[in-house]
Amino acid sequence: MIKVNPKIKVYRFNHEMESPDYDTFEVEPHPGMTVLSALFQIQEKYDDSLAFRYSCRGAVCGTCAMLINKVPRLACRSQVEDLLKDKVPETVTDENISMAGEDISWNPEEEVLVEPLPHLPVIRDLVVDMELFFQYYRLVEPIFRPAGPDPEKERLMDPGAVKELGVYTNCILCGACHAACPVVGENPEYLGPAALAKLYRFYIDPREAEGDSRLEKGDILNGWWACESYGDCYRVCPRNVPPIVAIRQAINQLNKRK
Amino acid sequence: MIHHHDVIIIGGGLTGLRAALQIKDAGLDGAVISKVHPLRSHSVTAQGGMNASLGNVEGEGGVKDSWQNHAYDTVKGSDYLADQDAVELMCREAPRTVIELEHMGTVWSRLENGKIAQRPFGGAGFPRTCYAADRTGHNALHTLYENMVGREIPVYEEFYLTSLVIDEGRCVGCTALEIVTGEVHGFQARAVLLATGGFGRIYDRSTNALINTGEGASLALEAGAQLKDMEFVQFHPTTLYGTNILITEGARGEGGILLNKDGERFMEGYAPHTRDLAARDVISRAMEQEIAEGRAYLGGYLYLDLRHLGPDKIKERLPGIRQIAMDFAGVDPIEEKIPVQPGQHYSMGGVDVDMGGATSIPGLYAAGECACISVHGANRLGGNSLLETVVFGRLVADRIIEDVYSINFTEEEPIKTAMINMDIKIGDILGREEGEHFFQIREAMTRTMSQGFGILREKQDMQESLQEIKKLQKQLPRVSLQNSKRELNQALVRFLELEGMLLLSEAVARSAIAREESRGSHFRTDYPERDDINFLKHTLIDLKDDKMHVSYKPVKLGMFEPEERVY
Repeated sequence: MIKVNPKIKVYRFNHEMESPDYDTFEVEPHPGMTVLSALFQIQEKYDDSLAFRYSCRGAVCGTCAMLINKVPRLACRSQVEDLLKDKVPETVTDENISMAGEDISWNPEEEVLVEPLPHLPVIRDLVVDMELFFQYYRLVEPIFRPAGPDPEKERLMDPGAVKELGVYTNCILCGACHAACPVVGENPEYLGPAALAKLYRFYIDPREAEGDSRLEKGDILNGWWACESYGDCYRVCPRNVPPIVAIRQAINQLNKRK
Repeated sequence: MIHHHDVIIIGGGLTGLRAALQIKDAGLDGAVISKVHPLRSHSVTAQGGMNASLGNVEGEGGVKDSWQNHAYDTVKGSDYLADQDAVELMCREAPRTVIELEHMGTVWSRLENGKIAQRPFGGAGFPRTCYAADRTGHNALHTLYENMVGREIPVYEEFYLTSLVIDEGRCVGCTALEIVTGEVHGFQARAVLLATGGFGRIYDRSTNALINTGEGASLALEAGAQLKDMEFVQFHPTTLYGTNILITEGARGEGGILLNKDGERFMEGYAPHTRDLAARDVISRAMEQEIAEGRAYLGGYLYLDLRHLGPDKIKERLPGIRQIAMDFAGVDPIEEKIPVQPGQHYSMGGVDVDMGGATSIPGLYAAGECACISVHGANRLGGNSLLETVVFGRLVADRIIEDVYSINFTEEEPIKTAMINMDIKIGDILGREEGEHFFQIREAMTRTMSQGFGILREKQDMQESLQEIKKLQKQLPRVSLQNSKRELNQALVRFLELEGMLLLSEAVARSAIAREESRGSHFRTDYPERDDINFLKHTLIDLKDDKMHVSYKPVKLGMFEPEERVY
C-alpha cells in the first residue's frame, strides 16, 4: 500500500489558453487504483472540468490511451502504485522509448505525470483529435475483399493461419504506437504503425483476393519504407501487437519481388 | 444545425452498425450517432462468443445440434418468460448470422478441419458457442466498422442523445449534444432506431463499460414508449474481484471450476448435472449463498480455478482473460486461482418492441440490449446477446426499410423547437450557481440499486430503496456543476446520464416490487417460487404525468410449455 497520498500531475489545455499548463492533484489511493480511476476521482472531487476519454475500463476498447510518465499507455491498465515504484510494464523495457510530449519535470517518487497522446492535436486536457490517426486507417482500406463469391457456409481456415492473424486482429486502435513512434513525430505524413499493421492483417488473411495489391498499397514513401525500426510501437502496445514485425515482413516480401 | 437522414441510428455497437450496413445496402441514407467512437462501444468487450446451431462440433453421443435445441435452451434459460416466436426467429437466423460475419471478414477461431469452432456454454445442451478466442465482440465489431468505412456511412462521433422528437404521435428525429463543441444539433429522420445498449451503470458492481448508462431506454420512456421486464437484471457469476471486469463464461466452458474457501466445488451441490455450467442466475445465487454462509473470502469473493487446463489451452483459448487477470488482479491464471464475485452484467429488460423492433411510437424502433423483444425473458444465456445484436440489427433494419417507404420528411419546426428547449435546459443546468455535487447522488444511486435490487430481493428492502431513489431524483434539480463551459464538458454529459439512470432505476424498482414471485434473475426471498398462474407475463412500465405505471402483457408461448427448471 502507498504510504503518502500520490499526486497526479495533469496536463491542462483548452482553446482559451495561450499555452498548456499543469495541475497537480493529491488523490486518495485505494488498492489497485489505476490512472483512470485517479482521473475520475479528480473530476468528481476536485475539478469537474478535467477532460479525458474513457469507456470499458478493462483495457480492451482502446479509448483511454494517454502519455503516462512519458510513455503512451492505457490509463485504465496503469496502476498508480506501480508507476510510483517506477515498475515499468514489461512491454516497455527499452530506454530508447520516445520521451514524447512537453518538456516538463516531475517527481517520479511522488507524482504520476499524465499528458495527452503526442503526435495528435489536443482538443482539451487529455483529449486529442484522433482524426488523422483514423484517416490513415481509412487510407489503407481496411475492408475485407475475399477471393470469389461467398460460399453457402463459412470459408474454411487453417487454425494456424487464424493464430497468425490473431496477432494483428488484436489491435484495439488505441493510438499508443502512433504516439510512441519517433518517425510519426518527425513525419506527420507517415501512415504509422497502427495503419500499417492493419494493412498487413489484410495482406496475410488467406481468404483475401487482394494479396499483392495490399502489399503495394503500403509500397510508398510514407508507407512500409518510412519505418526506421525503432520498435517502440511493439513495446508500448497494450495488446502485444508487433507493427514492426509486420512492416519488416512486408518489406522482405517486396524486396523478394524486386 | 439540423441534419437530415432517412434513418438515424443511435448507438455504434454491433446492433447499430449492422443496422446501418443493411440500411445503406437498401439504398437509403442512414447515419449513426454515437457518444463514443463506434469502436469504443461496449460490444467490443464481449468475450465468449455467439450461439448458433452450426453443428460443427457434435454433442454428446454424436447428436447434431439444431435451431430447435437452441430455442429450447434459450426458453428454458429465460425461465419461460421469453417470447417464443422471437426466440424461434433468432435461433433460426443464428447460423446464417455467424456465417454472414465470416463473409464480411470476421476471423473466428477454427477447428482442425477449418470450420468455425464452437464451445460449451452455460445452460446450453450442445457445444454451440462460436468464438474468436475470448475476443469475439472485438473481432465482430471491428469487422462491422471496417464495412462501415468501406461504404462511407456517416457517423456523428461523440454526439450524446438528448431527446427524441415526437410530432403528432410520430418520432420524427432527435436532438443530440455535440460533446466537443457543446452545441445542440437536430436530426430529422423518417425513422429512428435506438441501439444504445444496456444500463448496467445504475449498479455499483457491474461488468459494463462506464458508458452503459441506458439513455436510449430512458428517453424512449420519456417520449411515451413503454419499458418491458425491467426487473430482470443479469448478474454474471464471474467478475473479477475489485474491478468487476468480466471473466467470460467461456472460461468455465473450457473446463474452469468454481471453488469456495474450503476448496469445495460448491456448484455440485446446487446444480448436480451441469455444475459450473448451469445458467447464470443459478450460479450467481449459489455464490451469493456461499458468501452469505461464510464460505467465501473476506470481502465476498470466491475462486475460479483454471490451472488444470494447462498453459497451452489458457494461452490459446483464453488469452484475454489471462491478460485481464494479470493486469487487474496481479494473478496469472496458469499458476493461481482467479478471485471472482457476481456482478451486474446485462439488462434483459428494455424498450418494449414488437417482432420487427417497432416501439409503440410510430417511427421509433429499438434493437439489441436497449430493447426487449423478448428473447432472453427472465435470464439470458451466455452467447445469446452477441447473437441478438447482429440478428436484430439486420432484421429491424429490414423492417425500417419497409416502413419508411411510405413516410416523408415533414417540416422542421418540431426539431427546431426541441433544439431550443434542449438548449435552454442545458443553459439552465450550467447556469446554476450553487448546489450539491451530483457525483454523490450517482454513488448513492448505484449503492441503493445493488442493495435493494441485487441478486436476492425482499419487499421491505426494495421499498426502502425505491424511496431512496425517489429522494435522489428530487435532489437532482438542486445540484450544480463547477464547470459552466459548453465545450467538452464531461460533467454535463455525466449529469444528463444520471438523470436518465435515476428514471431507469425507478423503473427497475417498481417492476421488481410488483412481481411477487421468483423467476430467472429476479429472486424474491419472500416469494421464492415461480408463480406461473399469476406472473407468467411481461411487466410494462409507462410514464404519464411524471408518474410511472405498472401493467402487464401476456408471454407468447407456443413451442415449449413451462416446466420446472432443473440444471
